[in-house]
Amino acid sequence: MNVVRQSGTGVFSMNGREWSLLVACLLAIVIFSVASPHYATPGNAVTVLRNSVELLLIGLGMTLLLAMGGIDVSIGIVMGLAAIAIGRILGADGSPFVALVAGPLVGALLGCVTAAVVVLGRVPAIVGTLGLLGVYRTAVFVLLGGQWLSGLPSSLTDLLAATVLGIPVPALVIAVAYLIVWLALRRTPYGLHLLAIGNSEEKARLSGIPVIKVRFLTFVISGVLTGIAATFYVATYRNVEMSIGSTSALDAIAAVILGGTSILGGRCSLLGTVLGVLLLRILQNGLLLIGVPSLWQPVVTGVLIIGVLGFEAVSNRLPLTRFQRARA
Amino acid sequence: MTAPFLVARNIAKRFGALTALVDVDLEIRPGEVLALLGDNGAGKSTFIKILAGAHPPSDGELLIEGNAVAFASPKDAAASGIATIFQELALSENLSIAENVFLGRELKRSIFGIPFLKRAEMRQRVDGLLQELDAHISDPEAPVGSLSGGQRQAVAICRALNLNAKLVIMDEPTAALAVAETRKVLALTRRLAGRGCAVVLISHNISEVFEVADRIVVFRRGRKVAERLAAETNHEEVVSLITGAHPDVRALEKTN
Ligand SMILES: Nc1ncnc2c1ncn2[C@@H]1O[C@H](COP(=O)(O)OP(=O)(O)O)[C@@H](O)[C@H]1O
Ligand SMILES: [Mg+2]
Repeated sequence: MNVVRQSGTGVFSMNGREWSLLVACLLAIVIFSVASPHYATPGNAVTVLRNSVELLLIGLGMTLLLAMGGIDVSIGIVMGLAAIAIGRILGADGSPFVALVAGPLVGALLGCVTAAVVVLGRVPAIVGTLGLLGVYRTAVFVLLGGQWLSGLPSSLTDLLAATVLGIPVPALVIAVAYLIVWLALRRTPYGLHLLAIGNSEEKARLSGIPVIKVRFLTFVISGVLTGIAATFYVATYRNVEMSIGSTSALDAIAAVILGGTSILGGRCSLLGTVLGVLLLRILQNGLLLIGVPSLWQPVVTGVLIIGVLGFEAVSNRLPLTRFQRARA
Repeated sequence: MTAPFLVARNIAKRFGALTALVDVDLEIRPGEVLALLGDNGAGKSTFIKILAGAHPPSDGELLIEGNAVAFASPKDAAASGIATIFQELALSENLSIAENVFLGRELKRSIFGIPFLKRAEMRQRVDGLLQELDAHISDPEAPVGSLSGGQRQAVAICRALNLNAKLVIMDEPTAALAVAETRKVLALTRRLAGRGCAVVLISHNISEVFEVADRIVVFRRGRKVAERLAAETNHEEVVSLITGAHPDVRALEKTN
């Protein structure tokens, strides 16, 4: 494990990884601007930001999960199920306010299901959520009956297109979510417990930490954030298609790892996740605009994951041996 | 003689088919350093994990100040005044010293019902404790994973002190330490007993044990095979008790 100071950091204080990500984002923007005349337009900037909203919310939750030594590969389909609930409410001309509550609620419930399997059932997170992914896929298929949920009324869209003091609602929601998650992580016992569990569940237990409670809660938090993501998804696209969320887990894990959160747990960066999401979306959008088919997007994401983990494995080899010596 | 702080009666522990402890009776008194000795696999760590609430015993009972207790978790044991410094230290390498010292029982203030950490106050308390222990750590905000073995031991001891423990259990605290750091930890052990704490020390180093222990208990193959006052035994006898060469141990092992 890489021993990195982390807890004294401020809301926006940056480390080396985060600076490199920022530079990478700017570099990508410059390169794409040169490569494509359609790239550097205000409209495209809005598109990139717009496309980042769901992933930012899911990414915050995934950061907590990975920091805890957990993971959730079913998270995209959880968003799909929450989106179906929201779509059904809107489709039946339900109140957009009810739809607003439905997303986080369904997310929380599914978070409880995941936690029941992984935390209470003691199934390793990667296996448990992979199993749930299969179940939820079929559930989405059955619920949609093989058809898109489309042509939804614009009531929710209008609600979330508003601005508060000139700030668009999605930006506001993300800022508030970021702040809450940051406070929970860096300023409450919950955050310390989560990082201790990510370092070693057994040691955390020996230290008297309520391991089960903390792990359960984290899956629920991730579910709620994903439910909010579903709300923005439906508001934006006003339809729910069969393939909804199929790349979200991969994208979220990539962005989080890119941001400097350890896949092994115990160390994380929320700001890194935000920058990781932006870099990912900038790359995906830019490649599309210079003519790379969208089919290649998961390849880019996959290569980024492997690249970052490979790089970390190599650069961690030295500190790791020193660490083991200190422990022996 | 003072009343025992903790009494263990007929403690047994089985891990599946493996029997790690059988019929262990032991009394632990305030102000006394009790050394647990025994070969690797004798059951020392398992025994103290039972005292620490990390494992439930398969059989037997624990009494604290005369009352029967059943620990469901290390938190329960801590609430009864037992602090354990595990062999594997149980520190979180990714967290700072203060975070480790308070982990699981943080100082917090409630704002709108949400518990927020009192970081400055925790830091202050830990600085005080480190000073009291005469432990010098240049960067108290550094993650514990970057500290030396002796510094980590000091952090673990701070944790115990901070709990106001009545019984401090240390599993091979000096095993990974250099000579100077070992001296400090041993001095600390005596200081804890001087404060009226009961101390249980596991060690492989017999001279070290004679330096600090009041009483010596020897485990062998999951059984307590001997108990001696340190002043009434010597190095050779203790070695023969550990190896099983001692006539008492031979006699005991023949009857079992
Ligand atoms: N969690 C466990 N599961 C199974 N066996 C264990 C466990 N902990 C200890 N043991 C076994 O119990 C025996 C006693 O081990 P331990 O208490 O660690 O001995 P010591 O600390 O005296 O070296 C050993 O045979 C060990 O392998
Ligand atoms: Mg041991």
